[in-house]
Amino acid sequence: MSVYPDYMQESIRRVEETRPDRLGKNFPRLSLAEREELLRRYHPDYKPEGKRPLRVGASFGELVPHEVADLLEAYPLVDPGKTDLSQVDYDVDVLVIGGGGAGTVAAIWAHYAGIPTDRILIVTKLRHGDSNSIMAQGGIQAATKPHDSPAIHFLDAIGGGHFTNDPKLVRALVEDAPFIIKWHEELGVMYDKEEDGTMITIHGGGTSKKRMHSCKDYTGLEIMRVLRDEARNLGIPVLEFHPAVELLTDEFGQVAGAIVWNLETEEYKIVRAKATILATGGWGRLHIQGFPTTNHYGATADGLVLAYRVGAKLRDLDSVQYHPTGAAFPEQIVGLLITEKVRGLGAQPVNALGELFVHPLEPRDVESAAYIRECLPPEKDGRGLGVVTPTGMVGIWLDTPMVDMIHGKGTFQRALSSIYRMYIRFGIDPTKEPILVYPTLHYQNGGVVIDEHGWTGIPGLFAAGEVEGGVHGKNRLMGNSLLDYNVFGRRAGQAAAEWAKKARVGQLSLRHVERFVEELKRAGIPETRRAPLLLPDYRGKKTLARVVDLL
Amino acid sequence: MDEVQVKVKPEMVTVYIMGQAYQVPAGLTILKALEYAGFRLVRGVGCRGGFCGACATVYRLPGDYRLYADLACQTTVKDGMYLAILPFTPAERRPYDIRKVKPTGETLLALYPELARCVACNTCTKSCPQRLEVMDAVQAALRGDVAKVAELTFDCLSCGLCTMRCPAEIPHYHVWQLARRLYGAYLAPKAEHLHRRVREIEEGKFKEELDRLTSLTEEELRELYKAREIEPE
Amino acid sequence: MPAELRPAESHTSPVTRHASRVLYFPGCALKDQAQEYERATLAALGKLGYKVEELPRWNCCGTVYSLAQDDLMRHVGPVRNLIRVQEAGEEKLLTLCAMCYNTLRRSAEFVKDPESLRRINAFMDDEEDYRGGVRVLHLVQFLAEEIGEEALSQAVVQPLEGLRLGAYYGCTLLRPKEIGVDDPDRPEIMERILQALGAEPVLFPERMECCGAYLTVTRPDVVRERVGEILLSAAKAGAQALLTACPLCKFNLEERRPLGTPKIPVYYVGEALAWALGVQEIPEELAKSQAGVIR
Repeated sequence: MSVYPDYMQESIRRVEETRPDRLGKNFPRLSLAEREELLRRYHPDYKPEGKRPLRVGASFGELVPHEVADLLEAYPLVDPGKTDLSQVDYDVDVLVIGGGGAGTVAAIWAHYAGIPTDRILIVTKLRHGDSNSIMAQGGIQAATKPHDSPAIHFLDAIGGGHFTNDPKLVRALVEDAPFIIKWHEELGVMYDKEEDGTMITIHGGGTSKKRMHSCKDYTGLEIMRVLRDEARNLGIPVLEFHPAVELLTDEFGQVAGAIVWNLETEEYKIVRAKATILATGGWGRLHIQGFPTTNHYGATADGLVLAYRVGAKLRDLDSVQYHPTGAAFPEQIVGLLITEKVRGLGAQPVNALGELFVHPLEPRDVESAAYIRECLPPEKDGRGLGVVTPTGMVGIWLDTPMVDMIHGKGTFQRALSSIYRMYIRFGIDPTKEPILVYPTLHYQNGGVVIDEHGWTGIPGLFAAGEVEGGVHGKNRLMGNSLLDYNVFGRRAGQAAAEWAKKARVGQLSLRHVERFVEELKRAGIPETRRAPLLLPDYRGKKTLARVVDLL
Repeated sequence: MDEVQVKVKPEMVTVYIMGQAYQVPAGLTILKALEYAGFRLVRGVGCRGGFCGACATVYRLPGDYRLYADLACQTTVKDGMYLAILPFTPAERRPYDIRKVKPTGETLLALYPELARCVACNTCTKSCPQRLEVMDAVQAALRGDVAKVAELTFDCLSCGLCTMRCPAEIPHYHVWQLARRLYGAYLAPKAEHLHRRVREIEEGKFKEELDRLTSLTEEELRELYKAREIEPE
Repeated sequence: MPAELRPAESHTSPVTRHASRVLYFPGCALKDQAQEYERATLAALGKLGYKVEELPRWNCCGTVYSLAQDDLMRHVGPVRNLIRVQEAGEEKLLTLCAMCYNTLRRSAEFVKDPESLRRINAFMDDEEDYRGGVRVLHLVQFLAEEIGEEALSQAVVQPLEGLRLGAYYGCTLLRPKEIGVDDPDRPEIMERILQALGAEPVLFPERMECCGAYLTVTRPDVVRERVGEILLSAAKAGAQALLTACPLCKFNLEERRPLGTPKIPVYYVGEALAWALGVQEIPEELAKSQAGVIR
């Protein structure tokens, strides 16, 4: 018996009726001009009321979402004038803030570059590995096949980013990519392979060659757990449940460690470090414009806040990545990610009437904008062809039964086992019925400005992974985030190691915070605003799924 | 962002969180029910999407002798459910050097001799939120079939529920991690094209083209982008 | 998680029973130290026209579970294997390892008591109920009783003529006597098989004695003493080689021989079968002594 209410089943019947005609056909890809028009009219980033210019700091005047501005223009959690920095609890060469993919890779490569493990410290907010890295499903891009090349990968990435990416960073990304996959293979990552060892690769949104390497639909989990296991074998120390709440500087203007906060004993600890790597991830849990999110519990943009206070520049934070396919039904899983691989394997997006209305593999922002256009009512310039759920969410169908029809029975369960398992738990068999999806807040496209070595421009401070910006410009392609954290985690780890070998740290201070506080006061920012956020608060009614104000 | 619209008045159920009764809306997951009831979670919560294994928990239902185990973020509450927050699974992990170990059953047993204490009670399988055949994997490990262990445990989230419930005190998820890495590093066939490509990059085959691409104007890049040849699906 | 949430697929596959289909239980040792036993036996039974299939999803026979204190727990593993046979639509389970045979057969006997069966089914709430009735057979029973000596000798293409082979039973094929494959004091089932294969069975007094078994770990001195006596007894009776069905006996007979003990090689009974049926060569060390006797 279907868990879809009758009226939704009625729409499913239409999807089934059009399915035979849609098999083997696809909606034509849009031209660059058509893409830009669609984005301008329907993508949430193009709503001017969602953002405001920053009133303080190194990126003064830049537009960022209100939710982010509220954190960047906020007072510290520690009182810079009253904090005792004389007792150093941990004294290391390299401090890595963040225990997800980027942080773990950075720590491993700092060690490979010659820093003894007991001179490295990872501090992380939750457990080692609890991160967006572990949740990635679809895959990792790398031009490893003979008919593909790093240059083609470069073009795909920079075009997907609307030519706003930093070319130096894109180059590093694509040129290191095959090496990263090889490193993973040596570490024992179980990539999907043919019997002769050839990597199985498929398309992702915006790729011109089949370049997506995967480990079933647990790609992020498999890579992250192997990297974590390797870090544990090497003996790299990790402080869990210790988020950083402020960076430390010295009289030479270098970053010289951080103040971390034990979430359980509620005590501050002082970490002195010759080099510090920010690997704090992104901002999904800020629920920008009220969107549900695919992100893990700790994705609260802490790294942006800390970096901004020491004077780091930020870029491309006006663009938010909404993943086109977040679950929209049932209520329990609203917002959770349905990997792009489902579309890569042939499932088409169709509206309430069963009509195909966009190519399934446009770049993510274009795809999302198309879904939003389909769902918006005509009075808001939309087509009104979405399906409204009993709890007021809206979505379009992702015609999942097509996957097995194209690739053979059993493919969905084998290649997409996490999605299959999730829907079966809630009474929906995605190989028999389509699933309802709607864009969900997924990724922070921009972030802290870095060079190709992960250096932020602030002495002693490096950054890697989702916290940094420039690699993806204003839109990231699927499969380039796992790659990003590996490439720039490695580069930042190596660069931080070299820096630490030469650096000398002076007197620890919070002078930069004092200066920032003065600037906040001059700008008239209300003193009640505090950051970093550390964890979102979902107590009480806030726990219920957010309903985007669309209808 | 804190404004949440609730369009439908939800039906309420009673759950017992560590013994205390709370009214929560039906249809919430266990994780959201805890938060609705007022708990601000630090332990027992992670990705909230069924991947990290941090929210592993146990529960009972009224009139049922079984102790169920599942992920709090993927399980819907039921009326009368007895709930708990499990903060942590203690389990020793034995370090090894992936470059030096052999991909055999002896490696598994040398690092985790407690595997041999398995009595085939199947409690591990019953407690797995991913519905894996955990005991079959223990048995495959005992007979030295590393590839089978890797296959059976690929979807393991290391949530630790089997390990908490095992009367033979096996730290399953550490064994599985070891077996999967042995498989990936030694038993899986090598990707020749990958190794060729890495050599080509080291020899500078793409350097000139990339040098050129990084120096182009946006207009020139747009032209090249439009001219890309798309590999058929 | 509640049973109703488990995926609907069941491991039970309705199978039409076929006269020549035999489900067999390998056990851990045959997948590791005793691979030659499995290889030889499966090849030989194939030659005899049997479709030997490995029991799906088998677990450890249960021999190590006797470490468990209560009487019920140690039967859980073995009975689970019997349920797998039931799921496969069969009534018979062939074992090769003497230890697995012993453990599985004892559990099969244990659950013949209705109260024991009820208790174990109530405990194993994750499986379909065991209905009883699976017959656990050892290879030697299968050869001597199911196939029969006459049919066996007709299938022989390379008779083991001139080979003086001693059958070493050890404990687990014979004791306790309720489950023994033959009279525990005067067994002859292996000798009958050897005769059917054309060999000359050698009886020796120590053939039912214990080899020392697991004491090999903590008291190798005791095992050495036992092994010395067994080998000496076999040598005195004129055996050129010993045949066993137990990987642990074989390990002890080979690895725990005291210095100066007669150098008698040890093989699995399935290997002798494979030689006689022509699916494996007679090892050189035996073929030498056979030369001149036949052909």
